[in-house]
Amino acid sequence: MTHNNELSRRKFLTRMWAAGGGLMAAAGAWTGWDLLRPSAASSLTAQVKTLPPQAVPATGVVEIKAARGYLTREGDQVIALSWKCPHLGCRVPWCESSQEFECPCHGSVFNRLGEYRAGPSPRNMDRLATTVVDGSLVIDPGNVTPGGPLGPETIDEPPAGPRCIGEGH
Amino acid sequence: MTIGKRFRASTLGRSVIRNPNRVTTRDRAAGHWSNFFLHIYPVKIRRKEIYFRYSWFLGVASLALFGSLVVSGIYLMFFYVPSPTTAYGNIQFIQTQVPFGQYIRNVHRWSAHFMVLAVAAHMARVFYRGAYKSPREFNWVIGVVLLVLTLLLSFTGYLLPWDQLAYWAVTVGTSMAAYVPIIGEQVSNVLIGGQEVGSATLIRFYVLHVALLPTVGVVVIALHLWRWRKDSMLDTEHDQQEAM
Amino acid sequence: MAEEPLVVEGKRVLGVVPGVPPVGDRKIPDEQESVMVWPHLLVRHAVAALAVLLLVLIVAIFFDAPLREIANPAVTPNPEKAPWYFAGLQELLSHYHPLVAGILVPGTVVLGAMALPYLDRNPDRHGRTRRVAVATFTIFLVAWIILTIIGFAFRGPDWGWVWPWNAWYGEL
Ligand code: HEM
Ligand code: FES
Repeated sequence: MTHNNELSRRKFLTRMWAAGGGLMAAAGAWTGWDLLRPSAASSLTAQVKTLPPQAVPATGVVEIKAARGYLTREGDQVIALSWKCPHLGCRVPWCESSQEFECPCHGSVFNRLGEYRAGPSPRNMDRLATTVVDGSLVIDPGNVTPGGPLGPETIDEPPAGPRCIGEGH
Repeated sequence: MTIGKRFRASTLGRSVIRNPNRVTTRDRAAGHWSNFFLHIYPVKIRRKEIYFRYSWFLGVASLALFGSLVVSGIYLMFFYVPSPTTAYGNIQFIQTQVPFGQYIRNVHRWSAHFMVLAVAAHMARVFYRGAYKSPREFNWVIGVVLLVLTLLLSFTGYLLPWDQLAYWAVTVGTSMAAYVPIIGEQVSNVLIGGQEVGSATLIRFYVLHVALLPTVGVVVIALHLWRWRKDSMLDTEHDQQEAM
Repeated sequence: MAEEPLVVEGKRVLGVVPGVPPVGDRKIPDEQESVMVWPHLLVRHAVAALAVLLLVLIVAIFFDAPLREIANPAVTPNPEKAPWYFAGLQELLSHYHPLVAGILVPGTVVLGAMALPYLDRNPDRHGRTRRVAVATFTIFLVAWIILTIIGFAFRGPDWGWVWPWNAWYGEL
């Protein structure tokens, strides 16, 4: 009779088979996952050349369709906001009458800088990277910075008028 | 002798159809065992289980709808190319040019809706009848997997027409996945295949919808039915006491 | 016996005896008794399957599958509606954080459903002792149905409340 802690040949082989199988499965899963991960080429890579920074007005926003976003002024800076709602991805339109971003899907509302005001969104609107090339702002729509956490608004621009979306909630 | 009978009596016929004529109970059982399609079924079943009031035949209804989806879906596949530049036009073409195209598309869509209903109702019926109890616990678990598969099949199919309904429902649905802690972002990226719903998403959903999920579905359904057959004559001790 | 014999359908009747019929008593079907699947169950399944298929084939004649405008990433339709079987989920999403409404609630429901047979160890199948199980399941089912109906038919632009008889926004 063999000792309990002694490895019998059968037990050893069984374990080796199990380990080999596990290894194969892990390798397969990893390879599959890697294959399916989006390649860099599938993100929005085309840089979008827009206006000179000084052309962005101090109020309101400029919609840049090609970059799927908006330009807006924060003091001397111009920032680019993604129009994709941080909640669940609907396109967030700019509401002229209230001077806010208002998402029609579940009613998230953001101020002109994309800062959270109301609704189910868990964070501020995402920002797109910008650079200035030859005096013009260039947006890189593939480079997205998730919006900051909910907090007090940094600008004092209350709704300028009636909202575009109903107060459905 | 009818043609059928003559065929069955011939050498060729006997080599194809092994089941004897179903005269006695023994013949019927033998015929059952020698038929690939029938062997899904148990040979005998408790009388109470054959009536409508027992299962409302909702499992069968789900199965019939799954069959209808496979047939109508294959027809649609002949005319559909999964790419954002072609998909929408293909659906329009199916509706206007393809013989019975609109009708087959309707059948596919309605079968999908009814299947979700039938599977959910089947689950409720199984619950209220207490049919998930020992020794059938695991078949219930398989059933829940089937419910999830049914929903995934419906949802992946929803994107294929590439219309506004499809595009935004899938945008919102895949954004939801991103909220899973830790892996959510990755899962959402792998589903969409990029930053926003686009051609990579369409081909992924297409493959899931016409190849991967149906294949998994067929295997899991087979498992479900096989266990149903194995369990059909089993009863708990409790039942036996009740019957006494 | 000078009487003429009684003739029925060409047969002479020799006598009438009281008692059980020659094949025995009329059978009262025993629910627990086992019967052959072929044909008893198969014929019923065939009829059920055909009835369901007939229903689909008829509905498909009268109601066309919808096709909206071509997908446009720059315009979100308002309201944006999920397919009906996810309308309940969508309704939840409009009230709670997506981690709760989109992940935790559906995840718990699915895992809970899978665990059900192992949690409910009561062997009774129809008796009154199942009250807790039946009540729990029913509450979930009814809540889900109500959420689905609200999300499907009672929500309009901006996910605001509408009465379906005033304006219809349901999408199939
Ligand atoms: C693709 C979806 C499904 C198909 C095609 C399917 C098919 C079937 C069929 C044909 C039967 C036997 C006859 C009957 O009871 O009607 C059955 C039984 C059963 N199903 Fe399903 N089913 C599906 C989903 C589900 C779901 C979602 C559940 C529950 C979570 C479930 C749980 C069961 C159980 C426990 C039985 C055994 C009932 C008994 O023996 O009386 N099934 N299924
Ligand atoms: S997607 Fe914008 S509020 Fe939900």
